[in-house]
Amino acid sequence: MIDRSAHAAKHLCLGNPFFFFFLTELGLIYIQASVCAAGDSAAYHRSSVYRDDVVIVAAYRTPLCKSKRGGFKDTYADDLLAPVLKALIEKTNLSPSEVGDIVVGTVLAPGSQRASECRMAAFYAGFPETVPIRTVNRQCSSGLQAVADVAAAIKAGFYDIGIGAGLESMTANPMAWEGSVNPRIKTMAQAQNCLLPMGVTSENVAQRFSVTRQEQDQAAVESHRKAAAATASGKFREEIIPVATKIVDPKTGDEKPITISVDDGIRPNASLSDLGKLKPVFKKDGTTTAGNSSQVSDGAGAVLLMKRSVAMQKGLPILGVFRTFAAVGVDPAIMGVGPAVAIPAVVKAAGLELDDIDLFEINEAFASQFVYCRKKLELDPEKINVNGGAMALGHPLGATGARCVATLLHEMKRRGKDCRFGVISMCIGTGMGAAAVFERGDCVDDLSNARKIETHNLLSKDSR
Amino acid sequence: MPLFKTPFNGYSVKFSPFYEHRLAVATAQNFGILGNGRLHVLDLSPGPISEIAAFDTADGVYDVAWSESHDSLLVAAVADGSVKLYDLSLPPASNPVRSLHEHTREAHSADYNPVRRDSFLTASWDDTVKLWTVDRPTSVRTFKEHAYCVYSAAWNPRHGDVFASASGDCTARVWDVREPGSTMILPAHEFEILSCDWNKYDDCVIATASVDKSIKVWDVRSYRVPVAVLNGHGYAVRKVKFSPHRGSLIASCSYDMTVCLWDYMVEDALIGRYDHHTEFAVGVDMSVLVEGLLASTGWDELVYVWQHGTDPRAP
Repeated sequence: MIDRSAHAAKHLCLGNPFFFFFLTELGLIYIQASVCAAGDSAAYHRSSVYRDDVVIVAAYRTPLCKSKRGGFKDTYADDLLAPVLKALIEKTNLSPSEVGDIVVGTVLAPGSQRASECRMAAFYAGFPETVPIRTVNRQCSSGLQAVADVAAAIKAGFYDIGIGAGLESMTANPMAWEGSVNPRIKTMAQAQNCLLPMGVTSENVAQRFSVTRQEQDQAAVESHRKAAAATASGKFREEIIPVATKIVDPKTGDEKPITISVDDGIRPNASLSDLGKLKPVFKKDGTTTAGNSSQVSDGAGAVLLMKRSVAMQKGLPILGVFRTFAAVGVDPAIMGVGPAVAIPAVVKAAGLELDDIDLFEINEAFASQFVYCRKKLELDPEKINVNGGAMALGHPLGATGARCVATLLHEMKRRGKDCRFGVISMCIGTGMGAAAVFERGDCVDDLSNARKIETHNLLSKDSR
Repeated sequence: MPLFKTPFNGYSVKFSPFYEHRLAVATAQNFGILGNGRLHVLDLSPGPISEIAAFDTADGVYDVAWSESHDSLLVAAVADGSVKLYDLSLPPASNPVRSLHEHTREAHSADYNPVRRDSFLTASWDDTVKLWTVDRPTSVRTFKEHAYCVYSAAWNPRHGDVFASASGDCTARVWDVREPGSTMILPAHEFEILSCDWNKYDDCVIATASVDKSIKVWDVRSYRVPVAVLNGHGYAVRKVKFSPHRGSLIASCSYDMTVCLWDYMVEDALIGRYDHHTEFAVGVDMSVLVEGLLASTGWDELVYVWQHGTDPRAP
């Protein structure tokens, strides 16, 4: 074996071939990192506050309104985005010139036009010309992608304060394909499947994983019930920014000013029997109906992110911490399974396990895929979309991610210390899934005597 | 501040957690390659450094650790593989109070559990880490997973069951003594890792020091990229140590004969460089009881004790 002098000599000979010889002789190979096998990864980070954490100090959204018929049918897209951007600045007293970048997730509108609209919206919201803005399109998770992009840029040190937002007016920009389709797609099933209407992919999921009509309608009823309860108890008041706009009477053509402050797609009295009467839309003997699909809506959301050190310096309350983000790819023909792949990936990347997560916002693009993902991951229904989802509230594609951040973090704030980690996830058209992990921000709970504590979770799971 | 000349080459220094004026020094003859060893306990009271006790060993002493439960108890890691316990309150003839022979090769580091205070770890060139308690004649457990010499093992400052080890197999591992195997493998460097330590203020941050001349700071929750890479030493980094007083402060010593202080949270991380040694600097420690008090030793047979910001060589 090696004698002691060789040891010190070896420490000094960086890159000496002798050293590698030793390694190979002893059969040493580069050892891959393995994920914590202790089962309780959370044990090592019960109290972690880093100055370079990316934190969310504010997250707001507009009400979500039915497209073409709802409250925003006569509202321009930039007038949807401007109020939420403005609210971030006003409610935090931040100087808008300090914002390093604004990233807006937006899907259906023509790219360059929407980018210009966003720039205009920033001006309407009171941002100076020195603050840049850009758009990002990852289909249904664009809003979440925007937040993740800003978090990544802050981590990278490009700037310290940024805004991730989402915007969609499905009234102004309905889903459509422009121009001709390249005939080459016939040569490749996966490419061809990218053109499937989303509803057909939903039928595929329902059929392949045998999700029944009954289960789907039940999920829709639950979504409406929870959303109605949340609205009635005023839970959304913390996250919704009322939008002053106009509405045109379709018969008389009269224009009248109006302030929209509640979501208008929720049907509190939705019932299984009513939903059961609806006809399937995409397939004759299918299961996907207008009632158990997400609603087509208009809306916007915005999230203000910054380094923790900056937030502390400014004395801003910390709503949540952005932990990590993951996007994955799945079969385009069953794009709805995205969350079932993305959630485990993101939870693993955060060094957590599924049962460490206390709250989920999983986008209900279709009841079929939502129910499938819930069952596949064996998640507790009590933890998912506690304030309803897209079937009741609506799914303005680009805005949904930012909307979920606002809904999740405000709910986590209400729940206090018992709710430490939250996950947002959604499926993405053309076969992808995205998910992000958030952690509750403030170390100290709001004073609440009413909150019931089921079990104490001050110690790691090891100690039980 | 004063300095102390040891007859043998210095290997390690440790401040007593009980007395601010007490320092233990591990030394080995002929650079630890061949010959005897001696463990010194020094008194740092104002004036020249005096020796309270010295214990001779048949082989070099590579490391020493103070007990966290008894002010007079010391653990020495000896090059013949033995682990020896010394009690300052007993006469020299009764010492060592215990000599534990289990490691089959050089014992290279010792660390006393700061949370439970009843047990300690030793890391050895026989590729293992052993867990001992003071009252048992044999080790409680042997942790054998590393594929090459283990140079250091350090307890987590908050979790009494968690420790980290640094090895020549280019990995650092995190262990939980309640688990059968290591709970995390960190392929931290491309070259041998000589030392590791936990942040005393954040129980998921760990620093590793390597032959590749760098110190890396890791967050065990997201270990794919280091939180910080501290470059500045000219040769292999021999020891790394987090400050007991400031969460982001790190001390290190290196074969480049310098002791460096770093703040891993700021961009210009290197905040101090002391080049008082004239041979390899192999031991460094920061006092828990006096903020900013540093001690170092090296193969130049000298022990320096000084306040951060002052010149170690100043009389």
